[in-house]
Amino acid sequence: MTTTGNSRGAQPALEVSGLRKTYGTQEVLRGVSLEARDHDVVAILGSSGSGKSTFLRCINLLETPSAGELRIRGELIGMTTRRGRPAPADPRQVDRIRARLAMVFQQFNLWQHMSVLQNVTAAQIHVLGRSREEAVEKAEAMLAKVGVADKRGHYPSQLSGGQQQRVAIARALAMDPEVMLFDEPTSALDPELVNEVLRVMRGLAEEGRTMLVVTHEIGFAREAADRVMFLHDGRVEEEGPPREVLAEPRSERFRQFLSGSLK
Amino acid sequence: MQVLADLATEYWRDFLAGTWLTVQLVVLSSVLGLALAVPLAIARLSANRALSGAAAGYSLFFRGTPMLVQIFLVYYGLGQFEAIRGSVLWPVLREAWVCALITFVLNTAAYSGEIVRGGILAVPKGEVEAARACGMTRAQAYRLVILPRAFSICLPAYSNEVVILMKGTSLASTITLLELTGMARLAASDTYQPIQVFLLAGAIYYLLTLAITRLFARLEARFTRYMTDAR
Repeated sequence: MTTTGNSRGAQPALEVSGLRKTYGTQEVLRGVSLEARDHDVVAILGSSGSGKSTFLRCINLLETPSAGELRIRGELIGMTTRRGRPAPADPRQVDRIRARLAMVFQQFNLWQHMSVLQNVTAAQIHVLGRSREEAVEKAEAMLAKVGVADKRGHYPSQLSGGQQQRVAIARALAMDPEVMLFDEPTSALDPELVNEVLRVMRGLAEEGRTMLVVTHEIGFAREAADRVMFLHDGRVEEEGPPREVLAEPRSERFRQFLSGSLK
Repeated sequence: MQVLADLATEYWRDFLAGTWLTVQLVVLSSVLGLALAVPLAIARLSANRALSGAAAGYSLFFRGTPMLVQIFLVYYGLGQFEAIRGSVLWPVLREAWVCALITFVLNTAAYSGEIVRGGILAVPKGEVEAARACGMTRAQAYRLVILPRAFSICLPAYSNEVVILMKGTSLASTITLLELTGMARLAASDTYQPIQVFLLAGAIYYLLTLAITRLFARLEARFTRYMTDAR
């Protein structure tokens, strides 16, 4: 539609180059680049404060990058300066891009006043312009896929954390996104609920979904990711296929991080 | 008791008419006031300084001055302007009940605007982010997520505002309107029995308050179900 004639797959789904983010005088991201092609699953690791969540939130412009370029399927997100600060040039472009990049949050962020089904249909109807029947059909399929089809009439507050996160994943899937962004999707869950969410995410990775996953789950990174990216202090400290970099980290910091998280 | 019964048989029509006018004033001004309160609250939260400043000034004026002064300003003050006296609207604006309604709407909008603003600020930030993250525009996020959430959060505080507004409508009696208090004053000067008359009026106000709180209890039960049904 907006890919100016390029067939899907010819361009990388997502290109980030030289992304910087500063808050006041503090530099949270100091030039991070990433390319994700279709079917790539990239696990983004890093200790807290490394900038990994900020990086993910810059990609769909929940945070405005201070510098750097973002391209979705080749389409550059236009930036400008407003009142001395960087800002998206065209808010409508941002809305359009966001609809193609679904996000799953640490705190689920389901809309509490809507039923599970409404949570999964709302954006389909109002953003993608699907008919109600079409949206409901899609929602039911996605809820079944993540294993919470029987909860369609419930409110989020009636569900466990793991169920809520699976509904959030269904909400993201229903948008048929080109890239899915996961921001520490299991970090707010009780330990016994982590696996039901990871199982769903593994399934999505096997299906060939393009995913960027900020996580602390080294096991998930090892088994499901094609590539691991370790961020430290706002920079990419190490990057590579999980079997190589997780087994033999070159950077001392990454080694420390891994030995710390294996305990 | 006998006196109250006599009073009721002789003046019930007047009290009924007065109560009806009070109810009309409350319903109309709370509905119109709320319709004005929502854009006011959104304006106050706007990043546009001129817009938020104007909304804050409005709120400051109507919350900072007595409603009685406001009602006099509208009722006695509007006629001072040649442009208003000469306009086609003058026959309407001259009416006491229109002046009372205008005042009540503007006044309750200022208070309700603060309540709505509080409700909007109380909507969890993550839910707003989730709305924006899936491509909803700001307007869609307001319509689908922020305002419905804020509405249910606001309800308890808003029911209080409606009760206060209902009692405030008694001020309409000072500009010749024969709502409940106005009718009671008339009956009191007719009968020389102010205690009985105003007790009766007070009892009717109490029943109206009861009706309002009941109504809001039902609305709350309906619209906060998602918060209370947990587990």
